[in-house]
Amino acid sequence: MRKHLAPLAVLGVLFGLLPASLSAAGSGYLFRLADVTLIFCILALSMQLITGVAGLLTLGHAAFYGIGAYTAAILSTRVGLDAGLTIPASGLVAALFGVLIALPTMRLVSIYFAVATLGLGEMIYVTLLNWVSFTRGPLGIGDIPPLRPFGLDLSSPLGTYFLVAALAALALLVVHRLAHSYYGNALRALREDDQCADAMGLPVVRLKIEVFAIATFLAGLAGALWAHTTGYVNPADFRFAESILILAMVVVGGLGSIPGAIVGAALLILLPEALRAIGEVRILAVGLIMFLCILFLPKGLFGEVAALDLVRRQFGAAWGGSPAGRPLGWR
Amino acid sequence: MFDRFDIFFVQQLVNGLSVGLVYALVAIGFTLIFGVLNVVNFAHGEIYMIGAYAGLLAIVFLAPPWVALILLVLAAGVVSGVVLERVAFKPFRRFRDEASLKSKAMRESTLLSSLAVSIVVRESVEKILGADMQPIPRAYADAMQEPISLGELSVASGQIAILAAAILMFATLQWILTRTDIGLSIRAVAANPLGAQYVGVNVDRTVIATFAIGSGMGAVAGILIGLYQGTIFPAMGFAPGVKAFVAMVMGGLNSIPGAVVCAIVLGLSEAVATEFFGQGWADLVAYVFLVLTLVFFPTGLFGAGRERV
Amino acid sequence: MTTTRRSLLAAAALAPLAAPLAQSQPRRVLIGYQLPLTGEFSQYGERFRNSALMALDAFNRSGRLPVPVEIVFEDTRSDPREAVAVARKFVDNREIVAVLGDFSSSASIQAGRVYAEAGMPQLSQTASHPDFVKISPWQFRNITTQAYEGPRVAEWMRENGVRRVAVVAIQNDWGQSVVSNFAEAFRAGGGEVVATQFFNPGNREFRAILTEIARARPDAIYIGMFYEDGAAFLQQRRQLNIRVPVYATSSLYEPKLVELAGAGAEGVFLSTTFMATSPEPHVRAYVEEYRRRFGNEPNMFSAQAFDAVNILLEAIVRAWPEVTRARVRDELARTRDFPGVTGVTTFDPETREPAKTLARMRIENGQFVLLR
Repeated sequence: MRKHLAPLAVLGVLFGLLPASLSAAGSGYLFRLADVTLIFCILALSMQLITGVAGLLTLGHAAFYGIGAYTAAILSTRVGLDAGLTIPASGLVAALFGVLIALPTMRLVSIYFAVATLGLGEMIYVTLLNWVSFTRGPLGIGDIPPLRPFGLDLSSPLGTYFLVAALAALALLVVHRLAHSYYGNALRALREDDQCADAMGLPVVRLKIEVFAIATFLAGLAGALWAHTTGYVNPADFRFAESILILAMVVVGGLGSIPGAIVGAALLILLPEALRAIGEVRILAVGLIMFLCILFLPKGLFGEVAALDLVRRQFGAAWGGSPAGRPLGWR
Repeated sequence: MFDRFDIFFVQQLVNGLSVGLVYALVAIGFTLIFGVLNVVNFAHGEIYMIGAYAGLLAIVFLAPPWVALILLVLAAGVVSGVVLERVAFKPFRRFRDEASLKSKAMRESTLLSSLAVSIVVRESVEKILGADMQPIPRAYADAMQEPISLGELSVASGQIAILAAAILMFATLQWILTRTDIGLSIRAVAANPLGAQYVGVNVDRTVIATFAIGSGMGAVAGILIGLYQGTIFPAMGFAPGVKAFVAMVMGGLNSIPGAVVCAIVLGLSEAVATEFFGQGWADLVAYVFLVLTLVFFPTGLFGAGRERV
Repeated sequence: MTTTRRSLLAAAALAPLAAPLAQSQPRRVLIGYQLPLTGEFSQYGERFRNSALMALDAFNRSGRLPVPVEIVFEDTRSDPREAVAVARKFVDNREIVAVLGDFSSSASIQAGRVYAEAGMPQLSQTASHPDFVKISPWQFRNITTQAYEGPRVAEWMRENGVRRVAVVAIQNDWGQSVVSNFAEAFRAGGGEVVATQFFNPGNREFRAILTEIARARPDAIYIGMFYEDGAAFLQQRRQLNIRVPVYATSSLYEPKLVELAGAGAEGVFLSTTFMATSPEPHVRAYVEEYRRRFGNEPNMFSAQAFDAVNILLEAIVRAWPEVTRARVRDELARTRDFPGVTGVTTFDPETREPAKTLARMRIENGQFVLLR
């Protein structure tokens, strides 16, 4: 029973407590905030999978989110498909792009890979902005129908919330199961040292491509949800700054930690809203908070502290008898 | 198609060259810092912006002669750079054991801390001095924006000034790196930080010196380019920062001559792309180059590059 | 009982019924204003707020309503996402009877969907995209669209003998509408658009674009940009020694343009609805008070906001004492011949588009001079 306590609590809050209090408050604004937070939770979780667990720092994640959003927008406004089809389609299209991008870049080592994803993310943004005949460029695509999957009308605030929450729970399940399994351990081995992992026989390139495909699929789902709940997509929502925002969520929450990603997402979406009262210094305050979090909690709020300490202790032992936990040599 | 290669095309090349030199000016300081510390300094663009604002304030309140102006801006850059280092980078060097050095979490922390600092600095300047473009007193602006005709081509005086500055900066940096003690320590730390510490190099002081030099140059780049383009505003550091970053990666992460050459190539390519495709798509050029270089030339076009980072 | 006494008794009996009606008069009237107070458009948001506060203070002092009117300002950075969040917030606040804003068309349109669904009148001082007022009967604007301005500038150019024109515009929703409306009208008049160049927002390097245009040898260049990009463009045009005359949209009517562009701004033609140098007394009063209170010159954007606030306040006065969202909307729709600082404004009863007059100006010797 203890084992099931945490997931039951999460489900209880997500499908019971939260919608009940939101309905009681009766505020469209709060419902919208909840939807946006959950969408970014999905994004943060997908990012956590790539960067936190598998250790691939990517700076272009918002592009896949954008591809998912535009796929949903185009399919629903021009082809007339409903949400039941556009959402999985967006995930698949985003994953397809993810694989296409992963293939040539997988052999790149950390920072080169990050820079390549930065470049590719910007390329996708510039294409969305300038290919006016297909994407309507800066005018964006509007009038995207709300969520009516397979004819079931979920366009009310409560209905929308439940669908978004359901997909967020799904994402959480997938990422959690992947991370806490032998597969997850393999990914962590990649993160810590991929040369070692390769030497141990792990199929490094295949693992990287797989995890990238899964994460971009989730990002595509988030994009489709965004398109349907907002009703409008515009290239400016999917730039480098968004990728940085998602990365910040993961780092503040702690690399490798799933509750960390959720807390990070909630923090970075809700904090600017809560700080609306102080108005103009809002963004400044967010930057400051990010900085303080990073400075005093370099492993994030829930980082895999135990793992890092473990690693350091191992090395300490190998170097011969320094007391556990004390850094070697330099002060 | 060959009717394209007329005098206008030559003008485009001249435009591209000057744009490339602008990127090169910023790339020099950026590459120096990256080469030594192996961390991306996301706040370099903000140092560039601080240099421009410092120069502007000096012009408005003191109206100094050119040499004094440059020295003042240089000083401002040095101070900002050292403060930046102390605030955003030093706290993360407290873990020096091998596991932490290799840990991605640490490296990403410094990347994000410099990013957070850049946000804080930019927003503060915006609050204090306003988000709009600051006008520059005519005397200084005109000096940098005079059109000079070379036959049918037109060049601005500022472009010549930037060319001169780029050459001077590059030469100075080479001299510092090869002929001074501090330069030697910088090269040592860049090559192998642990090894340098073993042989007695004071890594902390060297890092401060690197930031001082790199940021000083960045700040001077800021005022020169700000005056030449006639636009000084808080977000001005972002675009040149990104392009300088691309130039640095193309050139091989720790090669300064490489970064300069690639910056120029980048500028020329953007001008030619605007010619054929329009400015919107020309923005892609930098990124296409970036990705192609990374995929086909993983260690950069010129650098010895680092194999394991 | 005499007739008089019976009437008095009846009146006394009915008096308590009047009390609730009297109490249903609000203690204050709230207006929401969504605008960019931070971010890249914050300077425009600041001007809006300045003008709004000026208009509000003058109104409250005048005592035309027995209760004060207050404005709730919320920052959206003119970002569509934040605009939607703020819109929902305003809608949730039952005290707010009408909303002003947003700055950009995309933010206004997104917020507009929320307002259309919830039934809240929205008046934007700058959303010029043609689709904005088509969302629902709740949307209004007091700025002329490019559908209005474009053809008039095309005609002006034709009058000046321009046959071939090159167009440069910013790649965003407004820039797109500038180009499409102008180009259509210019071609319809028999002219030729020899080059169309869009540039990404944030780009200030125009030399390549200028050289490309120069090759096409146009008779004139039409630019659709905000004044900061415009200043950089004009400077660089001078550096490249390109002498082709430039026509600009009303967004370039900004005293700072001359400061920033220096000699490059000489000879630029532009159209505008607001002229700070107009001799009309209410415009003079506005300009002088703005200058005195905020230390800089008002431009078209500040003037638009000033008029928008006043138009809304007038509608509220007409709706008094039954100040509900529906009533304010109806009164807004009845705005006729409103004497604003950006000219006389009337909302078309069918389309709710404003009709105004456009003046022609030219920059001569560093000053904006009215032509004709």
